[in-house]
Amino acid sequence: MSELRARVDAMRPATPGPTRTADPQPPANFPTKGNYFGYIAFGLGSSLMLLVSMNIVRTLWALMEGEAAFRALMESFKHPAYVAFHALCFAWLVWVALRFFSLFPKTQPFRIGPFQRPADGVLVAGLYGIFVVATLVVAAILTGAIL
Amino acid sequence: MRTLMLKLEPIIWGLFGGGMFIGALVLPAWLLVVGVLAPTGIISATPLDFDHIYGLASHPIGRLVFLAAAALPLWAGAHQLRHIFLDFGGLSRDGLVGGVLYAIALVGSVLAVVAAVNL
Repeated sequence: MSELRARVDAMRPATPGPTRTADPQPPANFPTKGNYFGYIAFGLGSSLMLLVSMNIVRTLWALMEGEAAFRALMESFKHPAYVAFHALCFAWLVWVALRFFSLFPKTQPFRIGPFQRPADGVLVAGLYGIFVVATLVVAAILTGAIL
Repeated sequence: MRTLMLKLEPIIWGLFGGGMFIGALVLPAWLLVVGVLAPTGIISATPLDFDHIYGLASHPIGRLVFLAAAALPLWAGAHQLRHIFLDFGGLSRDGLVGGVLYAIALVGSVLAVVAAVNL
């Protein structure tokens, strides 16, 4: 039996005309309701990540400039507005991190090389564990508890 | 600009993924200790001490960690923010918005490299 295939131009109109496809439109509940709210909040969390990273660049720069510049920067961190901003960023980024790790298995192929991908729950639990351990280790290093 | 960004997409995607991981693993502890607990006096002021942080950041491994924590999340933030702008504004301004955001990430990364090398 010969293979039957539709011609790609089978439905082409005889004369060119305006497209019959509607312009793309956001869904009615975009961006504040349903899953969209979490999606947008997750994306906006990245803007905080951008700002926090800029602050680390600033800290590195102050370290390079010397003790006086570093001390001035650390003094500025004591301002209540800065503390509130950092607390907000901390809470938001913890949520972003946990959501990122919970989404991670969905982005992975079914097989990784010769191995089958671990179950989603195992991957997520492993990533959560790494997150907790890494956070504790970094905090311990920064406070001088280790190193 | 959009053509260039399309060509660089694999590199940017790699920087984005690395930035998300580093950002998720390092930034919360940094924010909690250096941004909240030490400035409010809840813990000792060691994290705000120049010698302590300089010692960490100037160590070869510490230098790499500080550099990664400073530069990679810049790309993660820029890439995801670009996509938020795409969701709200469509493709029409993507070249400008993406260009500006990636330029910010690039400048920040260069500044971080210069500082990390000169510690």
